Amino acid sequence: MLFTCEGEEVCPMDFLKKTQWSPYVAGALMGMVSWFSVLTAGKYLGVSTTFVRTSGMIEKIFAPERVATMPYFIKERPIIDWQWMEVLGILIGAFIAAKLSGDFKRSFIPPMWKGRFGLSRFKRWIVAFFGGVILMFGARMADG
Amino acid sequence: MLKKLHEKNGIQLGIGLVIGIIFGFLLQKGGVTKYDVIIGQLLLTDFTVVKIMLTAMTTGMIGVHLLRSLGIAQLHPKPGSLGSAVTGGLIFGVGFGVLGYCPGTVAGAVGQGSLDALFGGVVGILIGAGLFSEFYPKLEKRILSRGDFGELTWPQLFRVNPWVIITPVSFGIIALLVWIETSGL
Repeated sequence: MLFTCEGEEVCPMDFLKKTQWSPYVAGALMGMVSWFSVLTAGKYLGVSTTFVRTSGMIEKIFAPERVATMPYFIKERPIIDWQWMEVLGILIGAFIAAKLSGDFKRSFIPPMWKGRFGLSRFKRWIVAFFGGVILMFGARMADG
Repeated sequence: MLKKLHEKNGIQLGIGLVIGIIFGFLLQKGGVTKYDVIIGQLLLTDFTVVKIMLTAMTTGMIGVHLLRSLGIAQLHPKPGSLGSAVTGGLIFGVGFGVLGYCPGTVAGAVGQGSLDALFGGVVGILIGAGLFSEFYPKLEKRILSRGDFGELTWPQLFRVNPWVIITPVSFGIIALLVWIETSGL
């Protein structure tokens, strides 16, 4: 019933296929997700610690002894935990949402960037790279 | 019963995945996994991010505090300090404006096929995390511990019942959203 709605008056599938939802609907549902997250896992929705753990996992391949003694990786151990799976889930969930609406496409440069800075992929990626470095350094300083 | 569920590590990994899938789905449908929407917010030309965040915060806050009042959920305020929040926040903001995604939306952006989020963003974020882990002991001693205020929440600061804060904040946010909507932003 969820996948075919012939003759149905209200079709939930049409809603799932829409490219963009009202920000108030999406926002309210996200707030509700946080209730269930707190109830079922005792956890609040977070992301950045996962990138710390992942960077620790990668470093561990090259220098396991060193990672084992670094204070920050003792505090945030390089393991797969609840939040790591949540971040993986975000990627999968966004993929499903984009596929359903036909919004999924391999894009190399965002449209707004293209209009302002041109077609060079290298330029966008190098700027995104440094943006990512700065953003994460700041996020970790603020412990968020 | 819930306490027992929280301790089952294998099940918790599955719950994390399911919660993440729903969250990522909503982020994409809301439009906030898109560079243009996020940069539009920073340029004050597109208010989608503010609308979603304020709605999610209010819904989340009211529900979580109801659960807490019922005794089935606990808050986990992170300890903070001025040195960490102010310096970290300013640096984060610069990186956020340059990258055009935050750590959560960057994962969603990869899922919808934005390759600049993957090769630029995620790689940079991992290097940034690695870099921070190198400097952590020194930063902790010199900057992050300055102006420490511990696990302080607004109700604790004002010594009032949490609902005394939640109620006016919720109405204030709703008024702000109505204003944003009526002014056509």
